[in-house]
Amino acid sequence: MGYLRLVHSTSPTPANPDEDCVAAFDRELDYVFSTLRRLGAASSELEDLAHEIFVVLYGNWPEVDRSRPLRPYLFGIAFRIVAAHRRRRSREVCVAVPEPEDLAQSPELKLQARQSAALVTGALKQIPLPRRAVLIMHDLDEIPIRDIAETLSITRFGAYARLRKARLELRAAIQRQLLGVRT
Amino acid sequence: MTRQRSPELEALLEQGKQIPAVPAAVRARVLTRARATAALAGSVRPPRSRLRPAMLHLAALVAATVFGMGIAGAVVLLRDRKTPAPPAEASASAQLALRPALSALAPPTPPTPLASAPLAPSAPEPHPSAKSASPRESYAAELELLRRAQSAYAGGDFSGSLVSLNEHARQFPSGRLAEEREALRVSCLRGLGRSSDARRAAASFALRFPHSVLLSRTTAAETSPSN
Repeated sequence: MGYLRLVHSTSPTPANPDEDCVAAFDRELDYVFSTLRRLGAASSELEDLAHEIFVVLYGNWPEVDRSRPLRPYLFGIAFRIVAAHRRRRSREVCVAVPEPEDLAQSPELKLQARQSAALVTGALKQIPLPRRAVLIMHDLDEIPIRDIAETLSITRFGAYARLRKARLELRAAIQRQLLGVRT
Repeated sequence: MTRQRSPELEALLEQGKQIPAVPAAVRARVLTRARATAALAGSVRPPRSRLRPAMLHLAALVAATVFGMGIAGAVVLLRDRKTPAPPAEASASAQLALRPALSALAPPTPPTPLASAPLAPSAPEPHPSAKSASPRESYAAELELLRRAQSAYAGGDFSGSLVSLNEHARQFPSGRLAEEREALRVSCLRGLGRSSDARRAAASFALRFPHSVLLSRTTAAETSPSN
């Protein structure tokens, strides 16, 4: 990571638009992986799905408004790709792949944080994807409702309604998980 | 929106906001793949930013050509339809048969040739300047002719008013003020004492503008006792 970041930092304004796109993708790669994980993608699928996101981003790069934050746009792509992937996967035979260990660094020092994050991620998986997307964007990524509605092609009222219901579902899912842990 | 989040949930969400860094090896793999895709796409097809303006220009050129051809065809068709002038003398039955076409095309020449020579326009072709003028200019010219006719009528100069009306009919056979022109023509003929001409003009007006608000005026002029 350090090597590639250093390479890009020596050329802050790449003349080549392809390189510009790759550099932007590099900057947001942590966010892309995190979003895919929150949307329910398995760890074994993250790299492939991230590459699909890059292909879409690269194809639309000339039309992307660089003056606006890139994250809502990337989230919209990720949401659609994960939804399509879930539809595709539902028609295929599922093979259980064991999840590798969490990628966070120094597990001894951040055990509590990892447990909390794992709790939220596990609870998020129990929320239907359309509502989960709104919840992640608003409560985790802190994206305004107006941008959420625009990104997901829904009305503001619909976004608020999804957010309200998703919060209730998240609370119930966390309580269920805590009860399961305690018992 | 009302808060539905408890402090415990808030704390959990705060932890969930953390974005863990992608391991360097995974990042390197993903970016290498992305660069390879970009290089392949760049070699197979030109970037869209270079392709799209050319396509847009071509599409705009084609659309402009088609639009221009359509306009030219419409102008030619309208010119062909305007050139044949209707006969100066048309019987009432012929006018009845031509009524649908009259409202759109026919220049409203008087039903019978007028006794005074200047009232009958010698050349029924529309004025060349009227064809090339813009709609706003032609309307201004129409208004000017009608204003002249109206002021002459108000001053008792019925013949002078008819001259202006005939000039208007020659330049703008189907002008936007044709209805007002024909109504004023009836009044002028009444003022000149040419009762039979006035009646014919009123009948022609009623045929051509059956729903006109000026119809009562022309009918009243026809049936007034001074006739």
